[in-house]
Amino acid sequence: MKYNDDVGVRYGNNISRGSYVAKTLKYIVCILLAIISILPFWIMFMNATRGTYEIQQNAISLLPSTHLLSNMKVLHGKSFNPVRGFINSLIVSTGVTACTVYFSLLTAYALVVYDWRMRQPFFTFIMAVMLIPAQVSGIGFYQFMYKLNWTNSFLPLILPAIAAPAAVFFMRQYLLGALPLDIVDSARIDGAGEFHIFNRIVLPIAKPAMATQAIFSFVGSWNNLFTPLILLTKQDKYTMPIMVSLLRGDIYKTEYGSVYLGLSLTVLPLFIIYFVLSKYIIQGVALGSVKG
Amino acid sequence: MKKRIFTILLALTLLLTFVVTGCGDKDKTNDTEKPDEQGEVEGTDDSDDDDEGEEASEVTDDPDVKVINLWSFTDEVPNMLEKYKELNPDFPYEIESTIIATTEGAYQPALDEALASGGDDAPDIYCAEAAFVLKYTQGDAHQFAAPYKDLGIDLNLVDEAEIAPYTVDIGTNPDGDLVGLGYQATGGAFIYRRSIAKDVWGTDDPDVIKEKIGPGWDQFFEAAEELKAKGYAIVSGDGDIWHAVENSSDQGWIVDGKLNIDPKREEFLDLSKKLKDNDYHNDTQDWDDAWFADMKDAGPKKVFGYFGPAWLINYTIAPNCGGEAAGEGTYGDWAVCEPNVGFFWGGTWILGNKDTKAKATVGDIIKWITLDSSEEGLQHFWANGTLEGPGGTKDTVASNKVMAASDGTLDFLGGQDMFDVFVPANEFAKGTNLTQYDETINTYWRDQVREYTAGKKSREQAIEDFKQQVADNLDIIVD
Amino acid sequence: MKRRKKSVSYAKYGYIFSIPFVVVFLIFSLYPTIYTAVIGFTDLKGLGRTDINFLEDPFLNFKAIFKNPSFIKSLSNTAIIWLMNFIPQIVIALLLTAWFTNRRNKLKGQGAFKFLFYMPNIMTAATIAILFNSLFAYPKGPVNDLLMMLGISEKPIEFLREGWTARNIVSFIQFWMWYGHTMIILMAGVAGIDPTIFESAEIDGASGAQTFFHITLPNLRTIMLYVLVTSMLGGLQMFDIPKLFLNGGPDNATLTTSVFIYNQAFSGSYMYNRAAAASMIMFIIAVVLSGLLFYFMRDEDEVKLKKEKKRARKEQARRAKEGGSVV
Repeated sequence: MKYNDDVGVRYGNNISRGSYVAKTLKYIVCILLAIISILPFWIMFMNATRGTYEIQQNAISLLPSTHLLSNMKVLHGKSFNPVRGFINSLIVSTGVTACTVYFSLLTAYALVVYDWRMRQPFFTFIMAVMLIPAQVSGIGFYQFMYKLNWTNSFLPLILPAIAAPAAVFFMRQYLLGALPLDIVDSARIDGAGEFHIFNRIVLPIAKPAMATQAIFSFVGSWNNLFTPLILLTKQDKYTMPIMVSLLRGDIYKTEYGSVYLGLSLTVLPLFIIYFVLSKYIIQGVALGSVKG
Repeated sequence: MKKRIFTILLALTLLLTFVVTGCGDKDKTNDTEKPDEQGEVEGTDDSDDDDEGEEASEVTDDPDVKVINLWSFTDEVPNMLEKYKELNPDFPYEIESTIIATTEGAYQPALDEALASGGDDAPDIYCAEAAFVLKYTQGDAHQFAAPYKDLGIDLNLVDEAEIAPYTVDIGTNPDGDLVGLGYQATGGAFIYRRSIAKDVWGTDDPDVIKEKIGPGWDQFFEAAEELKAKGYAIVSGDGDIWHAVENSSDQGWIVDGKLNIDPKREEFLDLSKKLKDNDYHNDTQDWDDAWFADMKDAGPKKVFGYFGPAWLINYTIAPNCGGEAAGEGTYGDWAVCEPNVGFFWGGTWILGNKDTKAKATVGDIIKWITLDSSEEGLQHFWANGTLEGPGGTKDTVASNKVMAASDGTLDFLGGQDMFDVFVPANEFAKGTNLTQYDETINTYWRDQVREYTAGKKSREQAIEDFKQQVADNLDIIVD
Repeated sequence: MKRRKKSVSYAKYGYIFSIPFVVVFLIFSLYPTIYTAVIGFTDLKGLGRTDINFLEDPFLNFKAIFKNPSFIKSLSNTAIIWLMNFIPQIVIALLLTAWFTNRRNKLKGQGAFKFLFYMPNIMTAATIAILFNSLFAYPKGPVNDLLMMLGISEKPIEFLREGWTARNIVSFIQFWMWYGHTMIILMAGVAGIDPTIFESAEIDGASGAQTFFHITLPNLRTIMLYVLVTSMLGGLQMFDIPKLFLNGGPDNATLTTSVFIYNQAFSGSYMYNRAAAASMIMFIIAVVLSGLLFYFMRDEDEVKLKKEKKRARKEQARRAKEGGSVV
């Protein structure tokens, strides 16, 4: 990494005039995109401080108002238990992320490194799985879970994540490009077991891919509403999005201010997780650094 | 080549095993479910034979049951049961509430699964909203609902409490048994602005205003013209008249399994067009920002009134009027009068599961919510806004007897007693023109009406496209 | 003899490492999916049905779906909306990737930009739908207010009643939610490229654009395939935004295939059989389209793969030989 930075600096001194124009242009585009990325969050946080009445009159405002505390009170009175919801969501999302990342990499590793008879058919099979539209296989899934009496359990939300075809596909594509087979071979010569090689050598190499998939699956699972909504019916099992949807649910008297506050509270933990994981992506842990 | 054939074979066997085992499983569960069902049916038949007519049967609870499951889509009913427990200190059961919002469309699928699966986690008491209650009382899911009389509820109470007849119609299953009732009555009124009425007609007296805006739509449009002359809009948008039109029609969307466009509903096209072409409204859509803005005069034209039941006043107009006491915003400048056509809008019905093991208690709770017209009954607290202590939101209730004994004066209505208007309104509302697909069909209809009024297509084309959408998406015959 | 034993014992791990995936998949995915597929040939509709019969004409549901004008419309809507969001999305994502991985002309604050671009994806679709609905509200809303203030329009415009405007907005939302996502994937791909390749390019004096087109892009091939396939599948299954934003309206202008299927199954009639048939049709479309993608992206990739494999095998053989000789 250090060496790379040095290279950047060395060349950075030679920037010509024309590229300043290009650079300015790049900044303008980036800043514009950044603004449209932030804006909705800004509006959401501002609305969390506004009263239901203000929001119904005009849903979009760039300035905060004074109703944060009263929104808080409404939330509190509405069987909205952020701590409980947070813990439940955290259990589910962490479980999903761990399962997706670890087992997808494991499966991808099996597809890339080992030369087994069913390898190609298995890969084709995973691809085919990815093509199945999600909307309707849901019907079968829910009925199955109800038959197993697996409602109000986190397992039907977490376990299916072990088989995440898209993540396997991504990991496979990544490993094909980033994992030199001779590393595996040399580890074998050193007498390392296959699981040891996977856990100690392949995992670190795949960090950027894992961080990427971790963010995707964590965000996806954290925001997932429909499946938990149908499977978790007891209040002490509710996840954050279920609680927020309950706030919105009262069609006769929706408290918009507290809905936005609830949504904001739901997003905050995501920010933190994203911030932590994005380190890997932003720095771009390259294969070379692992090698070195 | 061999490899490929092997793979295909493997895949096929896998597929077959799953299909076969899948179906096998289904059969098995059917077998196990059936005897249960039959047992229950026989049980209820016995009780029917014992007590002919409307009298309630003797029912008891299974002593092994400790939990009563309640399913609802808001915390309204669960909160009522807190009060019930307070009134019955030695209530022996634990109440397990399941609340699933209707906004994401998940309440019904979840409830359907839970009802169909049965077992200890099955709902004992469940709630249904006006938009889909027909499915649970008369439609695809009516078989799960217990007739009130099988829960030990004396049906003579319906007359005694003077329950709004339309709620009874909606809550009666195809066999003629009452399976669901509400606690709220949602008969509609016309809710109008006193200051505008005075400016245009020199008075804000509800008895005069009701003569100005009705009866019928011709009279209504005459009023619209008079209001327009002074720069006012009669309503905020076309959605405001829809609920009145919908519920005043003689027939529902489906007659004998076929799509039926009632002439009064078809007329909505022309009424909407008239409103739009003559600039009689602000062209908002209900529940949009602009619609709420009109409640405090923030729209381009001041709006004279809204069609709606009592909850629209308490939960929607009042919080959006721009003030919290007389003189602020439009607070206190409102009144209600009889609408030009009778209608109702919304409401919640309470049903009991026919398989519940605690029949007596479930019956008691449902009776307390829907039929108890005493001062200790839920509806008394609800009408007077005293469920959670004094000073709460007053609402209209299903029992006219309770409303007659309650005080419906609201500062928001300038001191008018809203029950004076809403009690008769409950009589005019019809419960016989609903179908279980109303929510979906209404969406298609209103979308096409909007296409027509916006000038995007002809009247014929709009009707044609509406029929096509219904045919494409629902299991209804369309001619 | 020894050699063969060794290679067989490694192949075994291929199976062992795939077991968790396969087991979980069979239970939680394949069973429900096949259940759904079978439904497509039955008369299962309505609630709580227990007597399911296969249809006399097994393709009755499929025929009904093909004759359904809303379904045909939903297919073209899906294609239009996907194309309108994917093309700008991949262009912007590639551009940003090129800028951010340009090793000579480093942008300041890259980290912050990268961080921000993915953020729209964090927000739940429901919130986004509400916000955009308010933005384009009629007759009074921020966009309408702005246009009238600037004198561009005299009367408020009912944006969400115009089919093409509504489609454009849905496409924009999809673009805006996913370009950061695509960019992150592409950059993860770049991170996986051996840096020595870049270093040697720099030493050879290649320009930023040259490096991008001749080194970065070809090396991103496998990841690009991933992006294309997943985005296309995501596009085919586009559901949240079209459903929550305008519920397929106005006049079916944003009705996507997934929304159509959902409506068949859940909005009223519970026509599970027709929904299942439509899903299967969608599945076949997905298979054909991704088959085409694989075909077009394949050649070079595959050839390279095979070469690598051969090389690896040779090496293994060589090593085994060497090892053997040592022993």
